[in-house]
Amino acid sequence: MDSSVHLDNVVMQFGEFTAIQKTDLQIESGEFFSFLGPSGCGKTTILNMISGFLEPTHGDVKIGGQSMRGVPANKRPTSMIFQNLALFPLMTVAENIEFGLEVRGVSKAERKKTSDRLLELVALDGSGSKKVTELSGGQRQRIAIARALAVEPRVLLLDEPLSALDLKLRQHMRAELKDIQRKTGITFIYITHDQGEALTMSDRVGVMSAGRLQQVADPITLYRDPHTSFVASFVGENNGIEGKVLSLNNGMAEMDCGQLGRLQGRVHNTVKAGDQATLFIRPEHFRLQAEDNMLTIPSKIEEVNFEGAYLTLNANTAATKLAIQLGAHQFSESLVAGADISLSYKVEDAIILGAAEYV
Amino acid sequence: MFNQLKARFGSGLAVGVIGMIAIWIIAMVVLPQLLMVDYSFRPNLLPAEIGGPKDVYSLVNYQTLFTNKIHLEIFFKTIWSSVLVTGLTLIVSYPIAFYLAKVATPQKAALCLVLLIIPFWINEILRTFAWYIILAYKGPLNALLLWLGFIHRPIRFLSGDGGVLIGMVYAYILFMIFPIYNAIESLDTNQIKAARNLGAGWIRTHWRVVIPHAKPGIATGCIMTFMLAAGSYAVPSILGSPGSRWFTQIIYNWFFEGGDWNQGAAYAFLLLVICIGFIALVMRVFKVGLGDIAK
Repeated sequence: MDSSVHLDNVVMQFGEFTAIQKTDLQIESGEFFSFLGPSGCGKTTILNMISGFLEPTHGDVKIGGQSMRGVPANKRPTSMIFQNLALFPLMTVAENIEFGLEVRGVSKAERKKTSDRLLELVALDGSGSKKVTELSGGQRQRIAIARALAVEPRVLLLDEPLSALDLKLRQHMRAELKDIQRKTGITFIYITHDQGEALTMSDRVGVMSAGRLQQVADPITLYRDPHTSFVASFVGENNGIEGKVLSLNNGMAEMDCGQLGRLQGRVHNTVKAGDQATLFIRPEHFRLQAEDNMLTIPSKIEEVNFEGAYLTLNANTAATKLAIQLGAHQFSESLVAGADISLSYKVEDAIILGAAEYV
Repeated sequence: MFNQLKARFGSGLAVGVIGMIAIWIIAMVVLPQLLMVDYSFRPNLLPAEIGGPKDVYSLVNYQTLFTNKIHLEIFFKTIWSSVLVTGLTLIVSYPIAFYLAKVATPQKAALCLVLLIIPFWINEILRTFAWYIILAYKGPLNALLLWLGFIHRPIRFLSGDGGVLIGMVYAYILFMIFPIYNAIESLDTNQIKAARNLGAGWIRTHWRVVIPHAKPGIATGCIMTFMLAAGSYAVPSILGSPGSRWFTQIIYNWFFEGGDWNQGAAYAFLLLVICIGFIALVMRVFKVGLGDIAK
């Protein structure tokens, strides 16, 4: 069955305010796709357009190739897991799971079979007669998943469903969601502001900011090869050094970074000589000893934090502060606050991006 | 309670507050009611005979209702009509309450609430008279319906129970809207979205999600409307016809026209007891507890 979702040049406006700028995106059948962005970036609006609670101002949402224009929320092949789960507190666990089937006129025996099967899937066999309020946070989470799966949706929409859980449970549920997605083969569309969630679970991630899709890529590409400075600073930790582009040469650029001198890095978008730009270097890409093809930034250690497997340093340079991450084996007595160090990086590990560019 | 008040305000104020509440409850509520209970069990006597050999307690006053067929009929008609008023008010109020709580923007909801409340600044008698004029045989409603061609000759709205029902639905609508509005407002909007998302149409969404949640509010509204309707005097006496007398009018007649306070008190208590019993029964049937209503 084709359960792809196509946002066909959708635009969403609320009065004068444009919540979603023109977006065209194809989400493949059976894909785990995440929308990642800070609150207010429009990701929930996208979910509401797919589920039918909002009708796009322009463009069309297509599910399995079929236009959803004019199809009300209760007639769409989607199922949503709400941020606060929105389980029905006056119904039992089984009634919650069976609600969607009850609506479709499925017989009682058939409904029971489905809810038993789903309770088993989410490892809560035998809890059907319990009240929702008797369950713990993680259990409710799983009931919400079971309830959404009961109607056999083609697309499952998840609106930050893990944000209310504590860290341990969240990590556990991540693995479980991924597992359920593999078992069912349903398209999962996941909304989150937590990059950890987006990167660990998704096949592809769409990073959003201010109603605009900044970059769509698999997690590794997104991390290694951000296309905009928003993506570079929002996904993972990054050090940004401002400067002015001097020259471009074969995918590399040289920047004048003021008191830090001339620094180089990769460049692949429309940055031109003379543009203001930012050079991004990940904390883990700094070395203490320079090798071939490395550039060096002199700096002074401000703080050293030992975190077990690795060390984090905060260092001051002439122009900006830098965060550095080193393997614990690189620790030496000389790494103390106030010590001068030279930080080196490989030119190809740094990436130069224009100030306000979009894909 | 005394200790809490004392800790906060000192013993002088605490005694004052408690004393005022006590005077209110005892002198204004308990004692007059006890006096009425006492009246209801004694015969109606000339002043000279009070305290004499004829002044004995009996159930005669209570028995009167069950031997007077006309009064008994009016009694049950009052209860039944009050049920009807309650049902009609609920049907009118629920959509309004839902609209106010979940559909309207905050500005629109505030405007609607103000528009609903303003008419209630006017005296109930005047509002009821307004309906008397609207519903009159040669009144504006008949004129409008004639003009629109829905009817060919005017309808006598005020000759049966129709006028009384319309007048009461209007008079008590706020007592129904507000509790239901409060109850629906506390419902998480995501619950409605979740039901829609799982495929439920509007009727099922209300039946399975909104109404169960709003049940305590609906119960509160129904109880208030029912009690007010059963105890109403102004509306039936203005909008009622001779054929649609209300039981409260009989009680009034016993007190002020028959001059028989003892008989009137007995009738009033019968109405009270039956109404309370009826409410208890309905609450039982719909599985609503007292605790739900107090919420």
